Amino acid sequence: MQYKIEHGPSFAWLKVDLSPGDELQAEAGAMVRQEPQVEMSTHLNAGRHAGIFQKLWAILVAFVRKFIGGETMFVNRFTASQGGQVVVAPSLSGHIVHKMLDASSRLFVQTGSYLASTGAVDTKVRFGGLRTLLGGEGLVLLECSGAGDIWVNSYGGVIPIEVNGSFTVDTGHIVAFDGSLDFRVKSIGGVKSFLFSGEGLVCEFSGQGTIYVQSRNLSALVGWLSPLLPA
Amino acid sequence: MHFEVQYNPAHSLATAHLSPGESVRAEASAMVSMSPSLTVETNTGPQGRGGFFTKAKRGLLGGESFFQNVFRASGKAGHVCLAPRLCGSMVVHELSGQRDLLIQGSSYVAAPDSVDINTQFQGFKGFFSGESLFFLKASGTGPVLMNAFGAIEEMELNGEMVVDTGHLVAFESGINYEVTKAAAGWISSFLSGEGLVLRMSGRGKVFIQSRNPSEFGRTVGSLLPARRG
Repeated sequence: MQYKIEHGPSFAWLKVDLSPGDELQAEAGAMVRQEPQVEMSTHLNAGRHAGIFQKLWAILVAFVRKFIGGETMFVNRFTASQGGQVVVAPSLSGHIVHKMLDASSRLFVQTGSYLASTGAVDTKVRFGGLRTLLGGEGLVLLECSGAGDIWVNSYGGVIPIEVNGSFTVDTGHIVAFDGSLDFRVKSIGGVKSFLFSGEGLVCEFSGQGTIYVQSRNLSALVGWLSPLLPA
Repeated sequence: MHFEVQYNPAHSLATAHLSPGESVRAEASAMVSMSPSLTVETNTGPQGRGGFFTKAKRGLLGGESFFQNVFRASGKAGHVCLAPRLCGSMVVHELSGQRDLLIQGSSYVAAPDSVDINTQFQGFKGFFSGESLFFLKASGTGPVLMNAFGAIEEMELNGEMVVDTGHLVAFESGINYEVTKAAAGWISSFLSGEGLVLRMSGRGKVFIQSRNPSEFGRTVGSLLPARRG
């Protein structure tokens, strides 16, 4: 399998040449174009070997997401028995980052930032905690594990930050982070700053690993647009 | 008349340079700035081409503004700068009189009078995806200015290609196309989030944009407060 990230950093898309036997899983609705021999099938995003409980969990999460806004609960899988090309793109302006996972590593991806992954990578929905739902900036994470490629997309530019110790990131600016990091979602300062600082919720990381941070925040765009809408 | 495009790919701006006697028609609201010597008239398309119904059809179905502004350099040369509403690139396609260009309604920006813009009614709306499929047909000779949401890829089709309707900007006439479901069944097409796709075949130019305006609208729109009333 060969891939190219083109048109970055503002409007990146991912172009993948599938060899026979390769499988690309992508966020629902991401397909831009594909060669006619590429086959697409749609699956519930509940993990590859999900039991009935995990599937119900995925549906519940999708239901909650419906209210706080976000991704669909479905993914598309592309295969090509004779090989073929498929192009996928995220919905917001920004860049795409590739990461290679090995069998022992995990990557947590903010659900809106998941673009695509290859066959062996498993994606499961995880909540960042109840408080994230109350904050409006729902930190709903996809836990990605298994050996393979993964592509995440950012709103705006993306900066990898190597953390050794502790580090704080606004939840709306998180793209992805290594599973080796511990994280805790909290409001910055007390109740007063939670309500008035405009910072909302932050994620406090500790340990060693990489965090991918995006230069724009979708909640901030929504917050800017909302008062301008006609009543 | 010639177009000059600057600031691609993110925030493009096009300048139409007019010699004395020349004019350019642009989508209403596209004007950014203009030379004081130019005259502007608002009309519903080139005179004598198509009746009211044709023009109304273009406006209502084409996704393009019903009214177009004509910028004319009568005595002296001048220029007018044009910009689309969304972030992204602009591209100029030169029509040679041989092949027409079919342009997704919202991607058309401007053309001189030597180019005729007509509505090709594609009576099929993406009722799952919310993407409407209406094309304007540009024929004649001269440049056509188009905008894309995101970057633009100009590809030479030779064979077959499946394109998401929300990512298609334009394609040359002579290419066969068929509107189909993205997956085999209706239910999985709906769940796949792809809705409808165009299955294209033949030879010719296809312009594709790297972002989908309706998808962006849904992503941001789902987070906005509900409209009252």
